Amino acid sequence: MKKSAGFPLTALSAVLALVGLVFYFINCNTNYFVADGINPAVIGCTAAAIVVEVVLIAVALKGQKDWMDILPVAAPVLLMVSFVVFLTGRINAIAAIMTFTNNAQNMADLQSAIISMACLLIATIVGVVAAYFDVTKPA
Amino acid sequence: MKQTSTGRRGQRVWRGVTATTATVLALSISAGVVVDSFRTDIDKFLGTQSTKVVTEDADPATVYTYTSDYSSTTELLDAIEDLGERMSEEGTVLLKNNGALPLTADETQKISLLGFSSYHPVMGGIMGSSLTENTGTDADTVDMVEAFQAKGFVINPTLQTVYTALESTYTTEVESWGGTTSHLTITAPAVGGVFTSKEPSQALLDQTDATWKDSMNDYNVMIVTIARAASENANYTPGTAGVDPTQNLNQTDPLGLSDDERDLIQAAVDAKAANGGKVIVLLNNASAMEVQEIQDNEGVDAILQVGLPGGYGFYGVADILSGAVNPSGHLTDTYAVVNANSPAAQNYGDLEWTNPDPETSTNSELVEAENIYIGYKYYETRYADTILGQGNAASTVGSSTGSAWNYDDEVTYPFGYGLSYTTFSQTLDSLTVDMDAKTVTAQVTVTNTGSVAGKDAVQLYVSLPYTDYDKQNGVEKAAIQLLDYDKTEEIAPGASETVTLVADMQDMTSWDSTADNLAGTKGTFMLDAGDYYFTVGNGAHEAVNNVLAAQGQAVEGNAANVKTWNLAESDFTTFATSKNGTAVENQLEDMDLNYWMPDTVTYLTRSDWEGTWPKTYENLTATDEMLDCMDNDNYEITANGDPSSITFGADNGLTLADLKGVSDINDERWSLLLDQIELEDCLIRTGFGGTSTKAIESIMSPETIQNDGPNGIYSYTLGQYANTDASTGDPCAVDANDPNLNYKMGVMPNETVIAQTFSKQLAAEYGRVIGNYSLWSNLTIFWGCGTNLHRLPYNARNHEYYSEDAVLTAGQGTAYVAAAKEYGCIVAPKHLVFNDTEVNRTGVAVFMTEQQARENELRGTQAIIEDAGALGVMSAYNRVGCLTSNSHSGLMLGILRGEWGFQGLMSEDFIQDANYTALKEAVINGITMSCNTGDSTMEAVSAKWPYWTVENVSQDATLLAALKQVMLWQNYALANSNAMDGLAATSRLVSVRTWYDNALTGVQVVFGLLTLAGIAMYLRAAKRKKS
Repeated sequence: MKKSAGFPLTALSAVLALVGLVFYFINCNTNYFVADGINPAVIGCTAAAIVVEVVLIAVALKGQKDWMDILPVAAPVLLMVSFVVFLTGRINAIAAIMTFTNNAQNMADLQSAIISMACLLIATIVGVVAAYFDVTKPA
Repeated sequence: MKQTSTGRRGQRVWRGVTATTATVLALSISAGVVVDSFRTDIDKFLGTQSTKVVTEDADPATVYTYTSDYSSTTELLDAIEDLGERMSEEGTVLLKNNGALPLTADETQKISLLGFSSYHPVMGGIMGSSLTENTGTDADTVDMVEAFQAKGFVINPTLQTVYTALESTYTTEVESWGGTTSHLTITAPAVGGVFTSKEPSQALLDQTDATWKDSMNDYNVMIVTIARAASENANYTPGTAGVDPTQNLNQTDPLGLSDDERDLIQAAVDAKAANGGKVIVLLNNASAMEVQEIQDNEGVDAILQVGLPGGYGFYGVADILSGAVNPSGHLTDTYAVVNANSPAAQNYGDLEWTNPDPETSTNSELVEAENIYIGYKYYETRYADTILGQGNAASTVGSSTGSAWNYDDEVTYPFGYGLSYTTFSQTLDSLTVDMDAKTVTAQVTVTNTGSVAGKDAVQLYVSLPYTDYDKQNGVEKAAIQLLDYDKTEEIAPGASETVTLVADMQDMTSWDSTADNLAGTKGTFMLDAGDYYFTVGNGAHEAVNNVLAAQGQAVEGNAANVKTWNLAESDFTTFATSKNGTAVENQLEDMDLNYWMPDTVTYLTRSDWEGTWPKTYENLTATDEMLDCMDNDNYEITANGDPSSITFGADNGLTLADLKGVSDINDERWSLLLDQIELEDCLIRTGFGGTSTKAIESIMSPETIQNDGPNGIYSYTLGQYANTDASTGDPCAVDANDPNLNYKMGVMPNETVIAQTFSKQLAAEYGRVIGNYSLWSNLTIFWGCGTNLHRLPYNARNHEYYSEDAVLTAGQGTAYVAAAKEYGCIVAPKHLVFNDTEVNRTGVAVFMTEQQARENELRGTQAIIEDAGALGVMSAYNRVGCLTSNSHSGLMLGILRGEWGFQGLMSEDFIQDANYTALKEAVINGITMSCNTGDSTMEAVSAKWPYWTVENVSQDATLLAALKQVMLWQNYALANSNAMDGLAATSRLVSVRTWYDNALTGVQVVFGLLTLAGIAMYLRAAKRKKS
């Protein structure tokens, strides 16, 4: 089955989400953020989005079904929720690190959060774009 | 087939559209939650209000309690500008003058400004107490060049051009997330960073304009500015370790000179030899610099320490240079030859535990083994002991030369020192000690013996007996200490003024941790039996020499200016109770590291300078017992007492306005009012107290805005919360088109300059200006009185604190806070307490003896609470011993609330970490709010602190009582402030939908509809495809 633009875009979105998730874990284990713990909503939404996108690709490769059209909609929505929840949990810390507790170590700790958020946001946008394309071309 | 393909394409498009709109819908719905969580901050940022208090049918004459001294914002700003200039005039210190100053009128027309800091001076902190530049207002801020030109000085244009051309070479770029910030001023190193000299080299100046030296022939009054910046969250590391190693500029300390700075001064000196002019050095700094070489340079005619003068201070500096004003400032810190050789400097910096734990902010320790001997208490006491030949004072430890310790090799300028264009004589006419009134009254006649009118500072010092009892019981005594001070009015040549000082004897007591007390435990303030020597002098060194001369030593002192008082028997009872009658006792035993790790620390004693010289306490391992404290979980919420006896939610028909101005906290109406408050309100408001106290509807407590300082209320513009509704009858209502509404008040000199005035009158004037500004801007709470001491000059945040001395700190702070309070403004001392470093400040464990704590930093705040009746305090980031400052019951309840009788509101510093906030411990210890913000719901506050739920807290009668108590203290403070202006018993709280609420709702509705439309269109396309 010939692949369409939706395939690489969806895959890219999933990869970016995965990278975002990895950096989220890294960030949660940095000195500055370790006390904040891990937010299950971020994990849950991101993981769900990745699963949705993987299922979308896997199933689509076996044949396009109308019911699958819910998946490209669900994935960016989940990623957006994850991004906002993550950002919300870090806003005060970002404000603090940029001002009262600014030092090299804290900036380094913040770096992983920024990377994670950027990945999640880009994954969301790519996911939205992917929704305009099918994973495979009609036979 | 074609039809199917078209249908599928339609499905794809509408699926994409639906994904787009659904994602934006998800964003807008999520943003709604974010907006609620950060509503306070958003409102502050946008200048919006989500709630407001509506007062109807009230007489303005009764609802507006406080009145301003000014009738317009123009008058207000004029007063600010005038005071800023005068504080700088009186706070600038003339350190050296061979007669070159003041300048003649002709000389003011020939000014050469050398050094990039002349064109870009440090006027406030890089962060914290930063200068807010104002333009287009009635009081625009000015830098040095603008101020000098405004005062009629003519400045060498060639040098101006040269330094403008070199801007890129002295720009400091501070990297941060989101971009780079460029500073044309010198900056302070970040924590862990090093100082980089930015002064352009001679070669660079030559390369830019080979005629720059020649240009000084026509402008031969050469003013060289040497600057060191100040900043919150910054730090100077002592010695060469604190200097950029790539520069090779022979700079041995970040607060010492680099070769480029030396060369610049020498270039001016060399030019003077050719052009017959003058060389004047301006020190633009808050931390004491190492300037012995400038003092020794005979080519330098004069040195002026101008501090960080704020937005109008250079007007004052110009007036001093021209002689329009006679300098009368005096140093608030000792200027040592080598700062790193003090005993305090032996323990400073990043001294990490071997077993840190980031989860609990357990990072480092700071053992202040110097005991009470910081600043002049060290240098002058050791000097006295070298003269008296005691305590191995002349040993080599701490010596800058490697030889026997010699005062003249160690101190460039002593504490309290300052010159004038005239000369004064001071005579201590009389001195009376009144043990019943607990006062020392001194009459000092000041005579102007010179030819120029001027003011003089009167500094009263005392020397306490250092007895065998003290040596046996570990009580330390400085050989000299400031007891009180005041400033004269301007005295004409030949005229005299008699100044009467009434000092608080509390300030000459010593803390004895071993003595029995009235509480039946250990620890009390005491006075030793023996002779007490009182004297006056131009600084601590002159004073100690007077005392030594009176004791028969062969020193250059004036024994005739010393009065003695003898106490026949040691007194352990007169000061065993505080001013509110509380029996004092040891409260800080756990601040001594030996409490946790016996025989670890040797604290410095003057009985053996050599044998007890502080070693550096590093690589320490916190014990399990210490770690147990440092996990910040020191109060367990349990079922205890009778929770039903603690009333919440009663209907007693009172509002906070009914208690407006009720200063008796025992008035029974307070209890009735607080019974109305809901438990949820207590939990939410203690948790989320950042940036403002929020409205509490059950008692109609208003939202009250908090502001940072101390160089003026600068968190918001004058107009952001100003009342533009004249119909309310508010005497401080402003016109919506008032040109001053965008004014920001971060314009005043830094606290070190204010203290250098040695003028309580000016400190009080500052309080009055702040009070007036508070009324016009509707900004009530001001974290604006930094009372930490300058333990070391290396703390880059010293600009926000007054001095190395506690009495000077308390004197300025008390006058300032009391004056502001007259206008209903809550000026709060900060940071309680021992916030002596910016290094690892969230978590650093500070250790010291209780005597040191009591007689240094705590004494710097004590009078502000006891005498000025401060209604606000901010606690500190650092730990007090092993406990967070907010968790330390001895400090917060024993001393602050107990001995000192503090009854006001109290916030934590900007601690955002939920664990380190230690909320339940903080509330138990009387902190009324954390500095976090969030949605005003139990869900939000419980999400941050899972133990902070109604169900959990409701079982704990102790905690319930503490919650009501802190809410009482918080609202008592507000009721006695101008936050109540405009409120009456009939006032009610009204929710307001802001424009951003409406916009967000609009986005949600629009994208909700678009999503539905997208789905519908998708289904339609699917149906078409099928058909």
